[in-house]
Amino acid sequence: MSTSNNQQKEFQELADWVIDQTKKAGAKDCKVRLSKNRFVEINYRDRKPEVIKEATTQGLNLQVFTNNRYASQSTPDFRKSTLSGFITDVIESAKIMEEDPFRTLPDPKYYAGRSDTDLQLADPDQGKLSPEERHEMVKTVEDACLKQGGSKVISVEAGEYDETFEEFVKTSNGFIGANRSTQCWTGASMTAQDEGDRRPSGYNWVGCRYRGDLPSLQEVGNLAAIRTLDLLGGKKIETETLPVIIENRVVGNVLGGLQGPMAAGNIQQKRSFLADKKGQQIGSKLLTLQDDPFLVRGLGSKYYDGDGFPAKKRNLFTDGVLNEFLVDWYYGQKLGWEPTSGSISNLILPPGARSVDEIVKDLGRCILITGFIGGNSNSTTGDFSIGIIGKLFENGKFVQNVAEMNMADNHLKFWHKLTEVANDPWIYSSLKVPSLVFDDVVIAGI
Amino acid sequence: MKLLSRRKFIQDAALTGGALLLLPELEASMLLDKQPSGNYFLKEFGIDEKLCQKLLTKALSKGGDFADLYFEYSVLNHLGLEDGKVNRSYGNISLGVGIRTVKGDQIGYGFTQELTPESMLSAAATASTLCNLKATPVVASFNSLKTGNYYPVAIDYNGIPANSKLQVLQNINEKCFSLSPEVVKVNAGFQSSAKRVMVVTSDGVMAEDLIPHGYVYASVVAERNGKREQSFYNMGGHRDFSFYTDEVINKVSTKAVNNALTLFDAIQPPAGEVPVVLGPGVTGILLHEAIGHGMEADFNRKKISTFSSMIGKKVAEPFVTIIDDGTNMNLAGSLNVDDEGTPGKKTILVENGILTGYLHDKISAKHYGVEPTGNGRRQDFQNYPIPRMRNTYMLGGNASPEDVIRQAGNGIYVEEVSNGQVKIGEGDFAFYVPQGRMIENGKLTAPIKDVNIMGNGPKMLTNIIMLANNLEMDYGGAGQCGKNGQGVPVSFGLPTCLVKSLTVGGTRQKGGQS
Repeated sequence: MSTSNNQQKEFQELADWVIDQTKKAGAKDCKVRLSKNRFVEINYRDRKPEVIKEATTQGLNLQVFTNNRYASQSTPDFRKSTLSGFITDVIESAKIMEEDPFRTLPDPKYYAGRSDTDLQLADPDQGKLSPEERHEMVKTVEDACLKQGGSKVISVEAGEYDETFEEFVKTSNGFIGANRSTQCWTGASMTAQDEGDRRPSGYNWVGCRYRGDLPSLQEVGNLAAIRTLDLLGGKKIETETLPVIIENRVVGNVLGGLQGPMAAGNIQQKRSFLADKKGQQIGSKLLTLQDDPFLVRGLGSKYYDGDGFPAKKRNLFTDGVLNEFLVDWYYGQKLGWEPTSGSISNLILPPGARSVDEIVKDLGRCILITGFIGGNSNSTTGDFSIGIIGKLFENGKFVQNVAEMNMADNHLKFWHKLTEVANDPWIYSSLKVPSLVFDDVVIAGI
Repeated sequence: MKLLSRRKFIQDAALTGGALLLLPELEASMLLDKQPSGNYFLKEFGIDEKLCQKLLTKALSKGGDFADLYFEYSVLNHLGLEDGKVNRSYGNISLGVGIRTVKGDQIGYGFTQELTPESMLSAAATASTLCNLKATPVVASFNSLKTGNYYPVAIDYNGIPANSKLQVLQNINEKCFSLSPEVVKVNAGFQSSAKRVMVVTSDGVMAEDLIPHGYVYASVVAERNGKREQSFYNMGGHRDFSFYTDEVINKVSTKAVNNALTLFDAIQPPAGEVPVVLGPGVTGILLHEAIGHGMEADFNRKKISTFSSMIGKKVAEPFVTIIDDGTNMNLAGSLNVDDEGTPGKKTILVENGILTGYLHDKISAKHYGVEPTGNGRRQDFQNYPIPRMRNTYMLGGNASPEDVIRQAGNGIYVEEVSNGQVKIGEGDFAFYVPQGRMIENGKLTAPIKDVNIMGNGPKMLTNIIMLANNLEMDYGGAGQCGKNGQGVPVSFGLPTCLVKSLTVGGTRQKGGQS
């Protein structure tokens, strides 16, 4: 969990100084967060570089808590000669706010108990990646996509993005957190010629903490082309009620509609359809969701949350029953509830036994949803409505691609329709969730 | 280089005393019309012509068609009211320069948050790595660009006083609760930002701009018989404080409350294809998603838009004319100058049913051999510009709104929309309808809610069969259009408009029960 030594020292010294100055300037409490991000981005289109971008960004965020008044401001300028004025200004901004008894730093007792497991969030080899290697990565992905796409290709864009992020957080009441993490992403988007003027585009992008964990670059490019070719001929069909399979990599879209209403802020503000549902059956027995911050090299893994609470593994849903809410310090205080954590790390839904291919054979007429478009989920009522893109099957046989269609339901009914979980959790995301099968869903078309 | 008075900068930027969103020596309208360009960044950051030339020379040291510099200094402040108290203040300062080298349609890009010659030269060197050719010369001097002023602020404009914002938020809170005993929660917010930019190009243009932007919003939860509904409404744009009158406060509050209360009686419409009438104003998001993005020239240059081969062709009925405009007073998408130094303009996309042109940045304009249309926009200095919409609207027709609804027969009427999205290549789009009505036998009947509408852009365009004479623009300020990870403010406009058929998402099939 260490940052690079020099950077950590520099951050720590500055954070100490900011806290000291903020208290001297009259604030009761404060929290300072310093961060730096170094990134490189390379994109190719039609076998030549389209964009080469590289830079370092930095930011200092200061939160001031004074007499139950609160303000937060950010600046990219780390120089002490100018930070004195900045600090005064944040305090003055807080002073004109109205008093709010719940606006305090967390009780320090909640900072205790942080894990010291090595989560391997930073790739030690990240800095060794040369510009030439980056270009080669992109060329390989692009080449594979172009070959797989063949004569249907109108255009292919391939890219690579990598970053090294460092942060240091300190509060005036005893919290210290440091973090260094890396990410490396690559992928391609392809546009294909379809009937008439339709030019469907599909993509395949994957990312990992460690570059060495990426799949083969040829595979990345191939899949971008395959996923695009899979969109050809997409048309809407008659509106009907049928089973759907939501593909692993897009299932987060519907899960988000459950996650938002679990937040204490939405509950306290009466914007949650789950507010009175703790301990109740929200979905079928297959709805089991864990929040696991300790996955080694996990994209959502962490040691502490935004309040400074130590990350903990928790069971959000077990066998369809809602176990707990996402309670941050501020809204926990407002509700009079014990705080847990207001944020999610890695979301895990245990995989089932069968592949999507096997499941499709048993579903009769069904749609495999591979993408969503537009739409919304109402956190107060649980109603959602969202555009879908996918493939229609009948008894395991592909019938046609579908587009320009819509799925609508209410979360309190929808999750009871979860009838099977596939065996394919999507690993290039903090949502490690497999493809999910739902029965009797209204898909609107003609 | 002149050293910035840092204390002064921070004071200015960080809403001193929480009271003022100060920008020093702001004389926006005068500056734009009368003062030489380069003044603000020269005065505050020591950015002079000589330094700009040095940076551009570095960016083109390995060749390239052109290079540009985009300096930005912006301050943003957000005040929030919850549970009757204005109890949160958030601020952000953004300062830096983005340096771009362009060769054909290729881009080298570097940026830095430090406006020191060393850091800026390093960013220019990063941009230059795109090419490996002979250096391209840079002009010896720059001409200041004269532009219109589509968001003037008072000569003594000093930003929006925070104390005034507090009162606006308290007034919204009181108004919302006074409108109905069924209102149980009110959240209100006031966001304002002021963005100073300067664009300097290797072909000799230097342009400065000050963009005031902001909005107020009310978000309301109402409760009736154990059921809850929520609604959100906002107003704003490129405006100073004079916009936020009692009338605006009342409108924002009344709309948010009434919309929430209406939803208690709302039903889900039958799913499937039906005639759709779009009410005037914010429903123009339909144009934005269904047509506008497909006409952004980068998608067409890359041949990945469904509109790529349609220039000069009939795409709609002869009464349809669609415009993308940077010159509307105070609207969220208006631009005195775009982010690569082209003055704000008005661009006709579809004229009397014929597709006449795309929305261009400098790269696509060169590709197509046309003049840039002033649509090169970026979120901030950390991003390079790409073609983006501004204020996109359709001119009105001859019918009355009632005639249009009558003509629809049975279908749905869309009042409020949000969350639009389009797939450029297919032209398939979706947008969400938080508020609308059923149309039955040519009349507006039961309210509807929470439905998504799907369609195909080119198909929808040909399916617009009737327009009313009531074009309205959207006066919201919270709307952001996202593209390639960059958000920029935009606006829309539409007269009441009948689309022969679109797919309405819902949970009941035609003839079924809700």
